[in-house]
Amino acid sequence: MAQAGKGKLNYRCPSCFMRDLDIDMFYDRDKREYYCLRCQFTGTEEKILKWNELVRLRYGAMNKRITKFDFD
Amino acid sequence: MSDFIVNIIHRPEMVPEYSATVTGHGKKEDIGDKKLLTESLDIFKTQQRVAHENGLKVTIQMTYASLFNEEAVQIAKDDHEKFGDEIALSLLGLPCEQFRKKYKTKDFCIWMFSMEDKKAIVNDVFEKFHDAFGFYPESTGSYYLDAELINYIKEAYPSVKCAVATCWEEGPKAYHTCNNSWYTFMDGGPWAPWIPSKVNTHAPAANEAEDSGIVAIPHLSRDLLACYDGNGSNFGTHPQNVLRGMIYDSKTWEFPYLFNLIDQYRSLEKYNNGYAYNMMFVGPGWMNKMGRWEAPYELLEKSYSEGCRYYGDLKKEGKLLDMTMAEFADYYRQKKSYTEPECALWRDILYGSDKQLFWYCDPYMRAGVNMDQGGAIFDLRPYAAKLEWPIGIGTDHIQDASYPFLIQEKYRAGYFTHYAGEGTIRSAKVCRGGEEVDLCLTRTHAHFAEEKVLGENGKSKAGAKRILTLDPVDIEFCDLTVKLQTVITFEEGSGEIRIDRKILEMSDPDAEIEIREYMVACYGTTEYTENMTGITLGAVDEAGCRQYIDYEYKCRDLAVPGAECVSASVPQIKTKVSMRSSGGAVGIVREGYAFSPMFTLGFNKNVRNKEVFTTWLRLEREN
Repeated sequence: MAQAGKGKLNYRCPSCFMRDLDIDMFYDRDKREYYCLRCQFTGTEEKILKWNELVRLRYGAMNKRITKFDFD
Repeated sequence: MSDFIVNIIHRPEMVPEYSATVTGHGKKEDIGDKKLLTESLDIFKTQQRVAHENGLKVTIQMTYASLFNEEAVQIAKDDHEKFGDEIALSLLGLPCEQFRKKYKTKDFCIWMFSMEDKKAIVNDVFEKFHDAFGFYPESTGSYYLDAELINYIKEAYPSVKCAVATCWEEGPKAYHTCNNSWYTFMDGGPWAPWIPSKVNTHAPAANEAEDSGIVAIPHLSRDLLACYDGNGSNFGTHPQNVLRGMIYDSKTWEFPYLFNLIDQYRSLEKYNNGYAYNMMFVGPGWMNKMGRWEAPYELLEKSYSEGCRYYGDLKKEGKLLDMTMAEFADYYRQKKSYTEPECALWRDILYGSDKQLFWYCDPYMRAGVNMDQGGAIFDLRPYAAKLEWPIGIGTDHIQDASYPFLIQEKYRAGYFTHYAGEGTIRSAKVCRGGEEVDLCLTRTHAHFAEEKVLGENGKSKAGAKRILTLDPVDIEFCDLTVKLQTVITFEEGSGEIRIDRKILEMSDPDAEIEIREYMVACYGTTEYTENMTGITLGAVDEAGCRQYIDYEYKCRDLAVPGAECVSASVPQIKTKVSMRSSGGAVGIVREGYAFSPMFTLGFNKNVRNKEVFTTWLRLEREN
């Protein structure tokens, strides 16, 4: 296969992100998939975006506007 | 009337961090690439425009590279004239053709150079700045500035009065997040502005003699809960950091978290005599036209615009003062005394829990208290030691600028450990018969109060108290329920933390329980254990006789009835930590072992209904 490159956007590995690792993924043109150099994650753009939503599950108050910061 | 102050900082960086390596993938490195220079300057212009459109004043931190660029210099001059922006000088952004040619290195973090190189670079950069503008700057900075460097800058260029000098909790966590390739180790510092001591940047000056001569500000205002257990670069007043953390709705591109973060910082005025602070400093690499990771340029630009708009709206509503760094330094010195602490009662605003922390920082310590663990102290830095810690090539700490901890519950466990051993924490166990309940398992919240002591100048002075009163918790034994309340008091200028455990109620008013106050500690700056040999543990009994254990990993202990004091001397960090009690208690000292390289200090006492058991933890320099 030819060498890998970057896609139109610079996706990070969602699986590594879930363990607090920012790892750029590379794009394999032959297999038409992104892959992680560090872990075993591979996937299309669609799969990455889906997994990125899983990343956000930890942020339970992500969409909430908070105005009270004490418990008085 | 309270003040919420923001410093907005921009730097025209001709070779933005990340741009060369990220967007230039597949190309040979060319830091003189004209396209890159043009784009970098365009980003700087955009940032300036956005801030000014929102009525905000900027501190322009010129980089070394930008001083060679006539257009960047002219923009700074024009915006100074038109908007009152401060023209300052950053020690970030060193990389450029001129720098590489002169210093023959790819190093770019000023604190990691040898002292000789630091001085040469400072002279070079400051003189170049003078050539461009005809004056020396009043503000400077980097991600970190070590004490020796600050002292040199202040000596050579006394006009400097403000500097960006650390990035809160950027250490092993950031290193890990960056695939172990980001060598910025600077844990253990203040999260809000402070006056650094001459000896150690992280440790605030206790008096004029210790004053380094500058007011330091942190690089960004970080989430005081999320950053402690995660990548700091996701949780700060840096809109693109929030995008980095994927903390936005991917469909609507909304990110209320950024505004919650700013607003929680605003709320901290309640704990700091009507003063709160924010800093926003976005390098141009974060507004890259190619996008940044999965965020396209349009989202990057939107986030910066909305961040500035929010600060601008607060200003219009009279809720925010925008200042340049130099203006802020004057404000800070007028507002704060040396000993006045910085306090932050902080709640989770991201994960949806009710967790609450309290952070305290003064010239003697930085301490973190976790209300979700019954008020346990989960982080403790002994600033009282004012530890000499030279950094950079040619020293013992080439990269590691962190201030050592005695307690760090993430790097050395906390209450919970696997299989055996103990983790670092300061808590108490409540015991009856064969049952034992650690207060770490009691979830509660705290309320802040202050006993003010003001000097003639109207500033807070030694003797003032910051008091955390925790909501009472129930301890259930098989035959007894105890309602217990914890009160934690920080007395300004004392180097001590007082902890009261009050027995408010017992289901059997005649019952007796035992409270075992304890502190498990060690020392270090990273996740990995250090050699404990050389530490001396001691206890002083009622007659003043001292018993001691020289640390040899032998799992020994002492129990001294009526002990006046128990202590540990940690020569590696020139620190003595001790505990004393309100009396009638058994002093406890425990050595660790190889699988649990810790030491324990504590006091055990039997108490009855309505009684109060008080202990004090004290930090001092040991040498």
